[in-house]
Amino acid sequence: MSRNAFFRAGWVLMTLAAVGGALLWMTVGGARRIFLIGETTVAHHQIELACESCHTAPVFAAAATAEKALNTACRNCHEDELAEADDSHPRKMFRNPRMAVYWDKLDARLCTTCHAEHRPEITRKGAVTVAADFCRACHSEGDQDVRTDRPSHAGLAFDTCASAGCHNYHDNRALYADFLAKHANQPWLSAAPVHTLSARQRTPAPAGETALERSDALAPVAALTDPTALDQWTGSGHAAAGVKCAGCHAPEVAPDAPVAEVEARWIAAPPLAVCRSCHKAEANTFARGRHGMRQHPMIAPPRDAAKTAIGAILQETIVRWLADATHPTRMTVREARLPMRAAAAHKVLDCGTCHQPHAVDVGQAAVKACVTCHDDPHSQAYVGSPHHVLWQAEQSGAAAPGTGVSCATCHMLKSERRGVIATSHHQNDGLRPNTKMIRPVCLDCHGLGFAINALADSGLVARNFRGRPAVHVQSIDWAARHTASETENTGR
Amino acid sequence: MLSFTEELVLLLNDEDGVPLPIRQDVAACALAGAVLMDLAFDYRIDTDFEALVVHDRTPTGNAVLDRLLAKIAARAEVCDTKTWIGILSAEEAPAVHDEILAGLVEQGVLAVRSSKFPWMGSRRRPGGGGETAQKIRLRIADVLYSHDIPDPRDVALISLLDACEILPEILQTQELADLRPRITLLRKMDLIGREVAAAIADIERSIIQAVRDRAAQFRKLLLILSAVAGSTAGATFVLPRVPVADSFGAALRMHLWFNSGWQLWTGYALLALASAGILAVVLMKVRRIARFGGHNWWRLAHAGLGVACVLALFVHTGFRLGANLNAALMVCFLTVLILGGLAGVCNNAAGELRRMGVPPRVRIIPMRLHTVALWPLPALVIIHVLAVYLY
Repeated sequence: MSRNAFFRAGWVLMTLAAVGGALLWMTVGGARRIFLIGETTVAHHQIELACESCHTAPVFAAAATAEKALNTACRNCHEDELAEADDSHPRKMFRNPRMAVYWDKLDARLCTTCHAEHRPEITRKGAVTVAADFCRACHSEGDQDVRTDRPSHAGLAFDTCASAGCHNYHDNRALYADFLAKHANQPWLSAAPVHTLSARQRTPAPAGETALERSDALAPVAALTDPTALDQWTGSGHAAAGVKCAGCHAPEVAPDAPVAEVEARWIAAPPLAVCRSCHKAEANTFARGRHGMRQHPMIAPPRDAAKTAIGAILQETIVRWLADATHPTRMTVREARLPMRAAAAHKVLDCGTCHQPHAVDVGQAAVKACVTCHDDPHSQAYVGSPHHVLWQAEQSGAAAPGTGVSCATCHMLKSERRGVIATSHHQNDGLRPNTKMIRPVCLDCHGLGFAINALADSGLVARNFRGRPAVHVQSIDWAARHTASETENTGR
Repeated sequence: MLSFTEELVLLLNDEDGVPLPIRQDVAACALAGAVLMDLAFDYRIDTDFEALVVHDRTPTGNAVLDRLLAKIAARAEVCDTKTWIGILSAEEAPAVHDEILAGLVEQGVLAVRSSKFPWMGSRRRPGGGGETAQKIRLRIADVLYSHDIPDPRDVALISLLDACEILPEILQTQELADLRPRITLLRKMDLIGREVAAAIADIERSIIQAVRDRAAQFRKLLLILSAVAGSTAGATFVLPRVPVADSFGAALRMHLWFNSGWQLWTGYALLALASAGILAVVLMKVRRIARFGGHNWWRLAHAGLGVACVLALFVHTGFRLGANLNAALMVCFLTVLILGGLAGVCNNAAGELRRMGVPPRVRIIPMRLHTVALWPLPALVIIHVLAVYLY
């Protein structure tokens, strides 16, 4: 065989081997980071290797089919959230054929028109990948031209619509004109600043009939020798709600089962599913946030190479090599893109990371757990900030429940439904954008104008609201003037 | 005794049997000239400034020479030597090369080497011959370094090698400079009959003219294309990427580099151009195909496609290197283009580089690196395309 023929054969073999290996990585298992076409957004980087979560189209599907499948995946996770936000630009509005004239300009039927993934170069705040003046596409011509019917908007540039703190594309619950006008002229701080839902949640309830004593603990003798755990449990919400030790450590046994059976089925470290069995709302919202996104039901689990058709015929060594080791089902602090404390890098995020398993100390989960890991300027500045001082006062009993402001007060939004107050564990829900916090959090204590200005002042946010806003968002003034003018006209 | 043509074919390879970095059009002209010289020495043809005529159609006994003699004799139109050099180099050089190799194998000068590979079948091709070629080189050296009266055929061979600029590839640059007076003297020697000498001189002139004409026609263009392709590809590493549009409506840039549909089609265009570029080289090696248009046109097509690839790469990426696998593909592609451009420059500015003292083995390095850099490219392209369709 000549030298040239040898090299050519080697070339063909190497090419085939490389393509074959890449195909196995892509379809069976293994590290797929090399196939990422660009850095994933902060919102999705945790699930960037669970490719099938978003790329659900069949192999070699047409571009339109792939795009459609991609958008279906977006909606699978974000549709409820948009509905809750009373989306100002819902998809159904643009699916109307009368809106076809806008499809060529900016196809708002597709999430990916504005939120293309793996495009770091054009990714702006909020994972937006179109130019900041994208509002121009629909609101610069004809009867949709905002500059003609609103004199206040006459000289404004389109790239300031969102950046000036006046509008959001999706969630304008705290920014629409009537709401602004209604809450104009409010003082910066209310006379009795109390976060109502927090106050109700933190007000100690009288001991109920279900409250348990130390002697009610149903556990093996060996477990009962730990006095700290028992003390913590008796003071916890679990004991108050009648949940015995076996309720978590032996969840499959009946509440009145004998100790021997409990001992036989005792689990030293109950899995996450045990928490989820009672705290469904918390678990569901946890899976929607950045802490627990990997556990979201729509996120593809790590691939099991052995269970694939190709994996079944491959040698065990190759199957082990193809394992999806780089895609754990839980987020770790080490993987975070935000600044984190080095000492916390090893932490794996689940219920027990923030909540002490026995004490269930809300104070621990509301502040200490956060600042143990987060090391960004905003988190660093919290300790000693006005909000923290109020929180300490409440914790010490010097101030009434609900007057303190913890990390959780702002970042874990509370809602009431049928008399039950639920704490969303989707901790970044109020941050996309941060004006989403205004109605459920800020307005309980602050005036709307102050809240909008404060949240628009990035420096003040970084200082954790030590001081007064240096930014003035004019929308509230314009809305008030516009309403007054209309009232005057109507009166005439 | 070997003919001019046979000796020339042997001299076109170095001691290891590796082809010398001689432009293929020059080698083709040299082969055509060698054939005519053989016929002139055998008193079968005669030439003057206006015509090349056959005055003896008796076969020479050499199949290649007899076939070409018949071809020249069969042509009704009378052509001058330059025209025949052109015709034979364009139409017959690849075939003559193959037939000469086969003849050398028959004579036992070359051996047939088998290439066997389990799933690629076997190939037999002539090889070896280094010893005979070395003898010819020594004979040439003897003529050049001694002051004896040389054999007229050796003088004619030296003149042919000198006329086709092959001599500098055989001798060191400094040696050649020192030997220039002796070469000039040899070319002026009246060692052969007047008629044959006139024919040989006419053939030499015609070869030089044909080579120069062709070189002038293509070399500058190839040089420019190679330089443009290489430097533009190299600039991609240096130039900042074209910034994205800051305002809505500046659509073209955004469509080109951030719209999946547009990128798909520009990617396919790039793939087609790159494949055509590789195909041009492959076809150039297939002699039956390469004779259409001649090697220069195929080389021109290859260089032109290289430039087109750089442009298509810009349209596809906007000077963005990308990330991960895409970055590897982009770096590989650019390296191939840069080395290709450099190889084109080395090939088409061989004379200038030779005068600058750059030895042939150095001049051929970019070409070899260009080929090596091409190795991972098909795999990376296939994986890139698969990734696009799978995700």
